Amino acid sequence: MNISLPQWSAKISSVAESTIDLPDDVPRAAALFAMAAPDVPLWHRFNRDDKAYLLLADRSRVYALNTESAERIDSLADKIDAAVARKISRDLRLAEDAPAIGDNPPTEVPIRALSLAVAQKCNLGCTYCYAQQGDFGAPPRDMSLETALAAVNVLLRDAKPGERANLAFLGGEPLANRPVIRAASEYARSVARERGVQVTYSITTNGTLLSPCDAAFFEEFGFAVTISIDGVGDVHDRLRPFKGGRGSFQAVIARTESLLAIQRSMQVSARVTVTPRNLHLRETLDYLIDLGFHSVGFSPMLSSPTGQDQMGRQELAVMLEQMVDCGDEFQSRVIEGARYPFLNLVSALREIHRGTHRPYPCGAGAGYMGVSADGGLSACHRFVEDASGAMGNLYEGVDRIKQNAWLGARHVHRQEPCRKCWARYLCGGGCHHEVIHRGRPACDFIRGWLHYCLQSYVHLLVMRPDYFGSAL
Amino acid sequence: MAKNNKTKKQRQTTGIEPLNLSAQLSYRGAGNPPNSHPSQAISNCFPGLESDFRNVWRRIFVGLEMNEADTVVVKVEDRAPAELQNLLNKRLLKVDGQPVFVHIRGPHAVENPGPDFPEPQGLVGNLPSNTPASASISGMEWSNALAHVISKAGQAIECIFQGNRPSEEIRVQLIIRSFFDNEPGNETAAGRAVISKDLIRPGELSQSLCSPWQNDYLECACYYWAASRPDYVNVEPGPDGTSRGNNWIQKDQSTDAPRSYTLDGSKLLSYDDLFRAWEKLLKFQIGGKDSE
Repeated sequence: MNISLPQWSAKISSVAESTIDLPDDVPRAAALFAMAAPDVPLWHRFNRDDKAYLLLADRSRVYALNTESAERIDSLADKIDAAVARKISRDLRLAEDAPAIGDNPPTEVPIRALSLAVAQKCNLGCTYCYAQQGDFGAPPRDMSLETALAAVNVLLRDAKPGERANLAFLGGEPLANRPVIRAASEYARSVARERGVQVTYSITTNGTLLSPCDAAFFEEFGFAVTISIDGVGDVHDRLRPFKGGRGSFQAVIARTESLLAIQRSMQVSARVTVTPRNLHLRETLDYLIDLGFHSVGFSPMLSSPTGQDQMGRQELAVMLEQMVDCGDEFQSRVIEGARYPFLNLVSALREIHRGTHRPYPCGAGAGYMGVSADGGLSACHRFVEDASGAMGNLYEGVDRIKQNAWLGARHVHRQEPCRKCWARYLCGGGCHHEVIHRGRPACDFIRGWLHYCLQSYVHLLVMRPDYFGSAL
Repeated sequence: MAKNNKTKKQRQTTGIEPLNLSAQLSYRGAGNPPNSHPSQAISNCFPGLESDFRNVWRRIFVGLEMNEADTVVVKVEDRAPAELQNLLNKRLLKVDGQPVFVHIRGPHAVENPGPDFPEPQGLVGNLPSNTPASASISGMEWSNALAHVISKAGQAIECIFQGNRPSEEIRVQLIIRSFFDNEPGNETAAGRAVISKDLIRPGELSQSLCSPWQNDYLECACYYWAASRPDYVNVEPGPDGTSRGNNWIQKDQSTDAPRSYTLDGSKLLSYDDLFRAWEKLLKFQIGGKDSE
């Protein structure tokens, strides 16, 4: 079966302040937007190298089809009813299970991950920051040690021996309150040891305040360190200046290098927030990988509090074109046996191989919550000081009424247009904060990207099956 | 695609081949009934109704074969390292720091064991010295201790076995086998959702089922059966919360049989006895007592 590319291509609109040459033709993104368009909620057909495949949305199951099966399935697409679905189920030799994801949300999920906004302040003035340059629009403040320790207690109080928990530090810029990070981590470690619980530690930082002492500390505790970097040199500087206006790139790179050099137990990753002003992803990816980052991930800026630097449809098409270019390079390198840690594709491949399926985009409001400097609980780190995600506080505990309402309302079966979209259990409905504040401008991008990831998966299954390792 | 003969045949038959792990897990082989799938089965495995999953753990340690229902080493491979050779018939006590037996406390059968109640060999010696006599141990699902090492395939972990004397312990490093299979004969293939043939050989999963029913009825130690299956009958309460009574499968069920709970095999009905003549040998229990 041949894939024929559509004959049109999307043109990007002129972008304010654009001094960067953007490609004015995005054929692969356009083709992906078209091929991935939501059709039948039950499944998604995709091809690679003249072979036909099927993704069943339920349980994210992937199948290879011969020509006849593909033609039969394609002919059924208009006529799916319960009888047809049963027949297909028999043809696919499926055990007759109920769909894995029902309509009922979980209730009273125990907390297993907390992020502490240890500093609601920041020394940078990034244009798109969800924390509005660090203070969430409220007076800047630090989290007290007492509050941080209370958060650790909430995290570990009900954890049983052998269970895992994650303690994350965010903000604002968390390193502006270094003593609390140290003390809270040490406290968590001692409590965890007593209780036989495994705690992992994370931090997301702008990198400008990193010191060699931090490096040693993160290494000792095995932190997952995420540095926010948006591009090379000026590209980064335009988006992530110090509050005085000066660019931060040099400072970030200089201070991060000491971490990169000693990472063994810790992992230092780069997170690139993608805006209309930094769309040269491949260049950024190669630069950061060469620098020694353990992995590099890209995240489109969809909901900026000021509306500045948000991605629109055209920009998302360009981003997809770039992501596909990065993905092609990833596949070549992997087939050669080399490492190329393009995190978006690495994660997608792992999830597709396992058949990960989820009714939510993440654990926000369920097993994961954000803690504000004053000890308030919120659905995640982005909802700090945001009533639409309020979940109680450390001292009175999780507000179960709010939590159950959240889990009910955010379930992907209750989202439009998600509930009819083939990608719903891989996507989960999109970041809650972005969706609540802006809506869903990125569905074609997400579907197009997932289509590409599915194609990459079946290709690597043939060309480099050992990449997928043990089922565990 | 590089697949083995079996999947090629499947593809020819159905034209649809499961690729990722979730698709593999959903797959039902041609001719298999619905309950060959754990999600469609009752899946009791103590022993087993459709399969006895305990049998998967027999060879979880490289070089050894364990009894799936007990914690004893029943076989040591000839080519196993020397330090494993003296583990034959030894009892496993701890896996990577996780105990196989745990303490339980509660009403117990006999405070003063009579001559019919043999002291469990060596086990008492492994309890802390201040353990009261009424405490007991349970190792019902010994494989629970494996839960946290199952992801350590290929790694060596420390296991502790009981030595020749109650107070003696043997510590060894044992390697955990891979739970899942790669393509047979092709270790460069993608990880599959199939249990490794090193762990479970053809026929083994259905080797020790609850069949005939008397097997399970006798074996059951967890009150699975909907109507209570007796254990301790003809009970006469004594002073201080003690009691005396009989083992429900005691051969001597005469009304003047001594009220003494025995585990002596020679005095109990056997599996074979029950297979052949359960309706003659077992009595109805009325008010907790054997009745004609």
